Amino acid sequence: MTAQETSMPSPSAGPQEAPVAARVPERVVAAARRFGLVVLLIALLPVFAALNPAFATYGNSMIVLQSVAVVGVVALGVTVSMTTGGFDLSAGACVGFVVMVTALTMVRFNLTGGTAIAVGLAAGLVVAAVNVLLTVVAKVPDLVATLGTMFLFQGLALIVTSGQSVSAGMTVAGAPAPGRYTEGFVWLGGGTVASVPVPVVVFAVLAAAVYVFLNHTRWGRALYAIGGNAEAARLAGVRVARYRALAYAISGLCAALGGILLSARLGRGDVGAGDPYLLQSVAAALIGFAVLGANRPNALGTVVGALFIGVLINGLTMLNAPYYTQTFVQGALLVGALVLSYTGRRERSDR
Amino acid sequence: MTEAAEPVVSVSGVSKRYGATWALREVTLEIGPGEIVGLIGTNGAGKSTLIKVLSGAAQPTSGTMRLDGRAVRHAGPLDALAAGVQTVHQNIDDGVVFGTTVAENLTLDSLSRKGAGWFTTRARTNAEAREVAAAVRLDAPLDAPVETLSASDRQRIVIARAVSRRPRLLILDEPTSTLSSVEAGLLLDIVKEMAAAGVAVLYVSHRLAEIEDLCHRVVVLRDGRVRRTFTAPVDRTAVVEAMLGDLAHAGPVDGAGSRAVADQAAAPVLVAAGVRTRPGGEPFDVEVRPGEILGVVGLVGSGKTELLEQFYGARPLQSGGLLLDGLPYRPRDPHAAVKAGVAFAAEERSAQAIVPGWSVRAHVTLPRLRQHSRSGLLSRRSEYGSAAAVIERFGVRGPGVDAPIETLSGGNQQKVVVGRWLEASPRLLILDEPFRGVDVGARADIGRTLAEHSAGMGVIVASSDPQEVVELAGRILVLHEGNLAGEIRAGDATAGRLATLMSGAAA
Repeated sequence: MTAQETSMPSPSAGPQEAPVAARVPERVVAAARRFGLVVLLIALLPVFAALNPAFATYGNSMIVLQSVAVVGVVALGVTVSMTTGGFDLSAGACVGFVVMVTALTMVRFNLTGGTAIAVGLAAGLVVAAVNVLLTVVAKVPDLVATLGTMFLFQGLALIVTSGQSVSAGMTVAGAPAPGRYTEGFVWLGGGTVASVPVPVVVFAVLAAAVYVFLNHTRWGRALYAIGGNAEAARLAGVRVARYRALAYAISGLCAALGGILLSARLGRGDVGAGDPYLLQSVAAALIGFAVLGANRPNALGTVVGALFIGVLINGLTMLNAPYYTQTFVQGALLVGALVLSYTGRRERSDR
Repeated sequence: MTEAAEPVVSVSGVSKRYGATWALREVTLEIGPGEIVGLIGTNGAGKSTLIKVLSGAAQPTSGTMRLDGRAVRHAGPLDALAAGVQTVHQNIDDGVVFGTTVAENLTLDSLSRKGAGWFTTRARTNAEAREVAAAVRLDAPLDAPVETLSASDRQRIVIARAVSRRPRLLILDEPTSTLSSVEAGLLLDIVKEMAAAGVAVLYVSHRLAEIEDLCHRVVVLRDGRVRRTFTAPVDRTAVVEAMLGDLAHAGPVDGAGSRAVADQAAAPVLVAAGVRTRPGGEPFDVEVRPGEILGVVGLVGSGKTELLEQFYGARPLQSGGLLLDGLPYRPRDPHAAVKAGVAFAAEERSAQAIVPGWSVRAHVTLPRLRQHSRSGLLSRRSEYGSAAAVIERFGVRGPGVDAPIETLSGGNQQKVVVGRWLEASPRLLILDEPFRGVDVGARADIGRTLAEHSAGMGVIVASSDPQEVVELAGRILVLHEGNLAGEIRAGDATAGRLATLMSGAAA
């Protein structure tokens, strides 16, 4: 061991001290990074309202929140899957699959809404199981594994319905289908609780639950440990495989919940209903990295991200921007947020 | 091995400083054409730094370097390459491009050669590859994907490329660490051939047998200085003794005479019967008593980590059985070990213990999340209490409990990462190279605190630097090439006796 006559140096000590004069603009930049997105979001509201007064009505706000709710629920699941360094790209496909499954349960098999919910959640767990088998057991890298799962379940959603939409009164084997969407189930999509739409309530409750789960429970801490340094977590006694499975299970359940809400709102099983949700939920989760300087997947950031996307799209629609510009705008927003998150990182050469 | 010829490389008075630490001090070394010089030393002795200086990856702080008599100053590795210095690094796969064929790998250098043209034909590539491969008698099929080759053959590709550039000086950095003994033998033959052709060779290794077999001279580095130079035939024990230096028997760390003494009457905490460090090794037994600090020393590669990881469930048990406090103990994973009351601090702090961006407090509580929470919810108070306790007990100096751990010095980081395990009141605490990258002061603090708190607990400390272990332990196990070479009481340990055991001479 080399004798180090050192006081308190060491290569792993903090970043070099910049001269005071240079630190002031640095602080401004850091503040911009932390609060920029939230400020931007808040600033957008009066801008859109000024451009189209219909934007600022209570009715419109509810429309925005309704659409944000489903995206947000799915995005919260994706967020949890990202904490361990994973990535659930199958979220959108899971939504679509669950929409179909719930529609079939009620319309084709004439079962209750409650049964449909149970089956929907179970379907979410099936998707999660496939993800876990691929990533944890077969050790396929997360991104490509969930991509594969996505194709599997996008396909399955078509297969179980023979490629057709499912709605009450449709023809099945020559006769009209026996069942229909039950009122209870439909209430989930269109009903209100204290004049707040049910999906928004579900989103709010789930957001709070995920926030507490990730930030204040030992399971959330373990998940972040794995995402930060899986080997360090393992050697500290964290059972990495189990937690990675848990992350995907939660993601699958959230996507299923989103599918249930979507199915209830649509009142029918539309082919490809889940497709737009992949892009939006992943974007919301990734935008969440850049919010409030978190630099990691977090519930609050995801909520802001989902809101941002919802407000942006709604505002653009109100301004009669063509639908085909929406994807581009979402992409630009995502890219901006990512650059914000990643350029903030210093290159640390730790020993 | 011509005496009077101009040395190929000659460094004189080279010193290298990183911050306040001197990695090399006044190193003077010469290698003549056709000479194979071995370089050996414990971790931290300065071998890598010397290689970096010679290969142009680092600039000496002072001193001069001459190649073929001309003074040189390499601005970077490319300069050194141009000057005829080739380095074969330890990690074979760093020099090989996966996803391409053997022939493509052999002719990698032609990609960057001017005038090579836009198109290549397979015939041309293969012809060139055959030429390059001939230098090391590599017999692999040229069209085979390079992944299908054994590690030894891949290494030969790297060496073949190095040789085809006709180096004046060839530096080999621990080239046999991933090879079998047969493959290592083949490599040694190649090196001898190259030396016979007039190349100067610097051979860095921990394997005494190879150094004995191969080198005309052996240079021993310690604490950044050249301690001794041996000429062939080399006495292994003397080499290891030079590596270790004098053992300061200053007595126990805190001087107050409270070196951890085993409670002889009590039943052992850990009994390991018939364990091996690797398949094919000789099984041996290990026992640790409560209140005892057991040292495990051996050269790099002697199997210390492999042994300790088995006690912790970080690696499956090779053979034999373990008893913890008299009960069968077979940890499937570290989680099971922690639950049973065994704690482990790994060798590489930043790769195996530090979570980037996490605070001191978060690191302290990570092994015991369940104990810090009620119905799943983490308790701030409980966490802060634990963190404060560790900071106080070990004298951790830093910005505070919530500071990111990277803002602490290496020694203080180590205090946190090692010290946190005491909160769990483990039965057995295993420390693998706990003082690497730790300054002298922190080392003393950690050692003293461990000695103070070792009552009722068994501690195992492994290190390739016996000085650290002698200060702490009561008994020392010495490993050599995966087997138990012997056991010695710390009080009886001298550099000579340890060197004999560590070098395998006392078989």
